[in-house]
Amino acid sequence: MSGIAFWGAVELGLVYAFVAIGVYLAFRVLDFPDLTVDGSFPLGAAVAAVLIIAGVNPWLASAVAMLAGAAAGLVTAMLNVRFRILNLLASILTMIALFSVNLRVMGKPNVALINADTMLSPFFGLGLRDFYVRPLFIGVLVVVALFLVWRFLESDAGLSMRATGANARMARAQGVDTDRQIYLGIALSNALVALGGALFAQTNGFADVTSGVGTIVVGLAAVIIGETLFGTRGILVALIGCVLGSILYRIAIQLALSSDVLGLQASDLNLVTAVLVTVALVLPRLRRGGAAS
Amino acid sequence: MIALSDIKVVFGRGTPLEKQALNGISLTIEEGSFVTVIGSNGAGKSTLLGVLAGDVIATSGQVRIGTADVTRQGTAARAGRVARVFQDPLAGSCGALSIEENLALAARRGERRGLAPALGARRRELFRARIAELNLGLENRMGDRMDLLSGGQRQAVSLVMATLAGSDVLLLDEHTAALDPGMAEFIMSLTQKIVSERRLTTLMVTHSMRQALDYGHRTIMLHGGEIVLDVTGDSRKTLQVEDLIAMFRKMRGQTLDDDALLIG
Repeated sequence: MSGIAFWGAVELGLVYAFVAIGVYLAFRVLDFPDLTVDGSFPLGAAVAAVLIIAGVNPWLASAVAMLAGAAAGLVTAMLNVRFRILNLLASILTMIALFSVNLRVMGKPNVALINADTMLSPFFGLGLRDFYVRPLFIGVLVVVALFLVWRFLESDAGLSMRATGANARMARAQGVDTDRQIYLGIALSNALVALGGALFAQTNGFADVTSGVGTIVVGLAAVIIGETLFGTRGILVALIGCVLGSILYRIAIQLALSSDVLGLQASDLNLVTAVLVTVALVLPRLRRGGAAS
Repeated sequence: MIALSDIKVVFGRGTPLEKQALNGISLTIEEGSFVTVIGSNGAGKSTLLGVLAGDVIATSGQVRIGTADVTRQGTAARAGRVARVFQDPLAGSCGALSIEENLALAARRGERRGLAPALGARRRELFRARIAELNLGLENRMGDRMDLLSGGQRQAVSLVMATLAGSDVLLLDEHTAALDPGMAEFIMSLTQKIVSERRLTTLMVTHSMRQALDYGHRTIMLHGGEIVLDVTGDSRKTLQVEDLIAMFRKMRGQTLDDDALLIG
């Protein structure tokens, strides 16, 4: 694997770290299997791309993309909380609806951002090669997001969100409005995923309506790899695990695809992903079994 | 203070499974009084507790806790007035959170929760001191996950959690039923100590007639959604477990007679 390919993998891993943190919030903190992310990732990309092309400041465009993601999350939460639709099904409904919404937002299946000014533009040409600038810039944003989510989850407000996912009956007895926590958590989760989508569009130079397919699997893969390698002790460790899991996942994929020995092609990506996630799920069990015997 | 007036609860209204769980209960419990509640299965004990906690909204009647009318309030809305320990040790705390995080959650029961860190140095110190009073050695395990504790330890921590924030009433829902006899005794003496030290208005549902007579100031027996016995003071002191059992038998006999009439 060349240096450029390696840093490319790190960059993509960092972009998807936002997805991983979002998936962690929904699946692990709230115990809410949320597939909305397959729609909110391309939604973030679409909103950011269209606004940037229209001349809006890329930072503002990315913020609006986050709001759009949060709105998508609120729809899923409402279908579940207000109308009592099973959480998984509620998120699938929002997800397929978003496919049409994303086409409407862009007006066509994909939008190119090649010559537009993005959040990263001011940092190019300052002496660092482009393929270092991108992961560095996104890495800084990931650290900021990770710090904020960590401080939130260890605050009084965050504790009530964690209690909602862990034991809703007890949370209510402690005065926590569990319905509100689901709204808040799923909105926050999808806002982060949409930010990932907005950054994906800006680093890759395009937004595509199909770019969301499998987002949930990639996010879950990162969460599970993180948990397998770093354990689940403490919120901070789990969040760092999400980020590193996301990067390691991309490096592993890159290694698998670029090794001539395995003879894999780019089209084998989904198969490789499924195998990697399975290995990450089975590995801890094997290790435990080994220790017991 | 608790004041229930003419509380009726009907489940499955208008369906073939319609059930009158509470049938016009009126009950006033004075400030600082400790009341024990007994009754056979289906007598309405859990429903009564649910009506007070907010899990069950009364079909008709009025519920007052402290100075407020809470008849229409849900569990979360009245949590600031009601502290509670569940029968199932797993129900009253979060297994996935640490001991001190569970305490932090309980310390702000019924209050607004902001973005300040849940575990500041001062709070940690307070929690440690309160847990040390239990003499279970848990003060050295404050960061451990709650699900590493035994059922009895979890109930002990739940009792501390119930008293961290102020409340108008403490509800105990057969909170020793799932424990071994030794641990049940420990939890009961701890309950006694906490209730008398803090002069809490307490309602304890129990399966044990011994507990019902040994603890508290007043005993209520429920049957068929109604209060059939309400003893306090001297007449309660002379009451024996055997008397209660005899009353239980009599109640059961009565229902049998009723059924016989229906069939006949």
